[in-house]
Amino acid sequence: MWKSIIYKEWLKIRWFAIIYAALGVLVVGNIFLKVQHDFEFSQEAYYWYSILFNQYRFYEYSLFKFVPLIGALAVALAQYFPETVNKRIKLTFHLPVNENKALLMMMLFGAFCLFAIAALQLLLFTGLSLVYFPAEIVQSALISIAPWFLCGFVVYFLTALIVLEPVWKYRFLYLLVTATFVPLYLQTAAARAYSPALPLLSVFTVLLSVALLFSGYRFRKGEM
Amino acid sequence: MNAIECKNLTHYYGKKLVFENLSFNVKQGSILGLLGKNGTGKTTTINILNGFLQPQDGECLIYGENSQNLSPQNKARIGFLIEGHIQYTFMNIHQIEKFYSKFYPKWDNEPYWHLMSKLQVSPKQKISNMSCGQRSQVALGLILAQDPDLLILDDFSMGLDPGYRRLFIDYLREYAKEKKKTIFTTSHIIQDMERLIDDLLIMDFNRVLAQRSVKSFMQEFKQFHLELENPDIDISNEEFVVNCEKVNNKLELYTYESEDTILNFLKNNRIAHKNFRQVEMGLEDAFIGLTGKY
Amino acid sequence: MVKISRYILVLTAIVGLSVVLPQFYRMAFEKPGRNPLIQYSCIDHDFIILRPDADEKWTNSEGSILTREAYEKKLPFMYTRQLVMDGTMPDSINGEKINIQHAGIFRSNFRITPDEIHAPKPKLYPLFESQSGRANLEMPNDFFRITWRMEFIDAQTNRILEDKSRMFSAVLYNRGFQFPATSINGIPTTRKSCDEGYLVIDSANQLFHLKMVKGEPFVRQVELPNGMKFKTIQCVDFSDKLYYAYLFTENNELYVLTPYDYMLEKFEVDDINPDAYEIRIYGDYFNFNVITIGDGFIRTQVVDRDHNKVDEYAETRPTYDTRPEGKIAQFLFPAELKMTDDNSSYVNFFLKMSKSYWWLILSLVLIIAQYFIIRQRKKNIRTEIIDLMLIGLTGIFGFIAVNIFPNKFID
Repeated sequence: MWKSIIYKEWLKIRWFAIIYAALGVLVVGNIFLKVQHDFEFSQEAYYWYSILFNQYRFYEYSLFKFVPLIGALAVALAQYFPETVNKRIKLTFHLPVNENKALLMMMLFGAFCLFAIAALQLLLFTGLSLVYFPAEIVQSALISIAPWFLCGFVVYFLTALIVLEPVWKYRFLYLLVTATFVPLYLQTAAARAYSPALPLLSVFTVLLSVALLFSGYRFRKGEM
Repeated sequence: MNAIECKNLTHYYGKKLVFENLSFNVKQGSILGLLGKNGTGKTTTINILNGFLQPQDGECLIYGENSQNLSPQNKARIGFLIEGHIQYTFMNIHQIEKFYSKFYPKWDNEPYWHLMSKLQVSPKQKISNMSCGQRSQVALGLILAQDPDLLILDDFSMGLDPGYRRLFIDYLREYAKEKKKTIFTTSHIIQDMERLIDDLLIMDFNRVLAQRSVKSFMQEFKQFHLELENPDIDISNEEFVVNCEKVNNKLELYTYESEDTILNFLKNNRIAHKNFRQVEMGLEDAFIGLTGKY
Repeated sequence: MVKISRYILVLTAIVGLSVVLPQFYRMAFEKPGRNPLIQYSCIDHDFIILRPDADEKWTNSEGSILTREAYEKKLPFMYTRQLVMDGTMPDSINGEKINIQHAGIFRSNFRITPDEIHAPKPKLYPLFESQSGRANLEMPNDFFRITWRMEFIDAQTNRILEDKSRMFSAVLYNRGFQFPATSINGIPTTRKSCDEGYLVIDSANQLFHLKMVKGEPFVRQVELPNGMKFKTIQCVDFSDKLYYAYLFTENNELYVLTPYDYMLEKFEVDDINPDAYEIRIYGDYFNFNVITIGDGFIRTQVVDRDHNKVDEYAETRPTYDTRPEGKIAQFLFPAELKMTDDNSSYVNFFLKMSKSYWWLILSLVLIIAQYFIIRQRKKNIRTEIIDLMLIGLTGIFGFIAVNIFPNKFID
């Protein structure tokens, strides 16, 4: 039964997930293409120096900062927008399963796909970094990248909330709330500067996973 | 034993009243048709039954459970056709059958494939690429395969061609009576309803006009034609008149009263007339007679 | 479950609003306030204050107005070239004959702000060859870290240089260094006059001086008075070469470390807190000006070249909280949330509570407003108690949040 829901969700998002995964891998590859190039063109010591002391952030190349966000947005729209056309989500709610459980299942599958793609990108990034850089630089880079991936999940959860909300006025208001909250994850900062904020940001990210239940509930109560 | 019990349903859209204290029951094994003009609350009622709208007051019970909080077991017994035959269009007919079959223990895909064989579609064709009529057949086939005890069909005839409609209604009625299914349905095409339903519920703005079996309704609700000598006489406000239409001196009269009562009234009030006769009605005529032309 | 999801959303909205609303308010209403420049005149033995925004720019500590020429004449070491050009540079000051070039060697500028201290520190440093025989310093090909031992990592191969690492680790170990290092302080650039290596603090709060001389490790321990701990050590490269570094202790004292004999000399000043204040130290031939700039005040303490206190001066100025726009903000917002802070380079949830409780009045007004909203929706007050409490605690943020995510139907 749950496998069926997963199957249906996969049918909706498969191309978007695959394209996002490919894009993520390409962007990570591109970053290290540049690292490789810069290593050739300047002395390695100067390159390390610019990272350590001149705030050079090699991992920001190729707009890597926005890749998780855009990927999450695409997957969320692919997954939830078809449910709102002609209010098709009524079909899922009518299935003989608890409505909230059904929504959570949908959300968990989407989040899982995003997680797998994030893991792919991060593993690739870490592996390639360790070729060129010592552990300190790699660790600093990962701490700086972490909030961008957390942001991706937040965007996924809040997009689900907004898309499923039946009333346009509230969709707009939720969008405003999203606009105030998402920037917390995307501040410009030096390497490793985000570390004190990460625990609480992670907690918020996990908590927001259940946000879509609110819109689902409002839909079932007949809000117009 | 009632499959559906609705008590004192009251709902407003903003300040506009949809209905007030609406109560009705649907006995197990019976077929109820909900008729009414657009905007009289048909879809609202369906939404309440399916748990997609919370009424301002009152409640609906389906097999004893409040429709706002149906348990999964109960939902498995209910088949729901959404207005417009809405389905997930990103799947093809194989994928969608596979999807739904896992949820219902009683799934029997024979009637589904029987209907699908009549469709001219390729196996991988997505539902989004089908015509409206073809989509409808898919939606109906899925409901039949689910083998539910209660079918709630919101405007099942939309988009279907006449031949198919006829086929489906006859099939549905036989299927329902043989397996003792309960059906709650709405439709715009009254002739279809006439072939299908046992009981009717006719709604108008803010009120219920009729709530009884079709047989008794058709027996008691009558149409009379007469020609008035004096075209200016107006009897539309008389108590027994449910509705009347006058063109020059030709009068169409709709009423529950007997022929004798009418004739007596005319005699007592010295209303000269000729060509008085009762006209046989189908359900559609009766419906228009009751609710009026626009 | 849905109730929980609603409260999570309300909390999210409160967090977002407590960042954005005060930010908009400040953007609209905050006024700048520039610090005056306070300098000590060795001629007058008095303070000269330059206020860039005022009409009368240059005054002394009693408020007498100076012309620009008079101002510059009082600060000969600051405006040497101008005075020489005007022909008004004195031959002697305070009874001493002044050789301009010689006096110029003692000019020094130092500045540190709290966000430089509260910042992520690099964990890898370049150890320069301090006596290469070349005029310019060269960037080494490796970087070191001091964890369980001292390791040098080659940048080209990304591998540890075992021999060099062992050599340096052994010397450190023999000198009593307790691994790992807790702070490594130096000037990691080739653009300095010479290299004096690093001042390193180990796990037992001991202070070591570490250099590379002709490829060999140079390690000296600095004797510290009992239990002295530092908030920060800032190495300097001044032309007088009198000190290795300014050292700021946990007790807000200021020391310098002399080369070769490693003496710690204390400045006779107090309340030198680099965590909270911007600190500037101007040195010239006669004095040091130690300036602390904090929230709403600027203070300068002047010592002579033997570090004894000579004079001091302080001024307050209005801050955001004392100005009208800040006071109104105290009515509106229970707190401000920012992800960045002026005193830190980290990103964190910096919560700045309102200085007073005036916002409770607005909370009360909003609770009453919400009460009427609830009544209008014909809901039971009992189910909305939590919402009302939220508004009481978080004021306007809570009021907006509970109405963006309406509490309909959920009972």
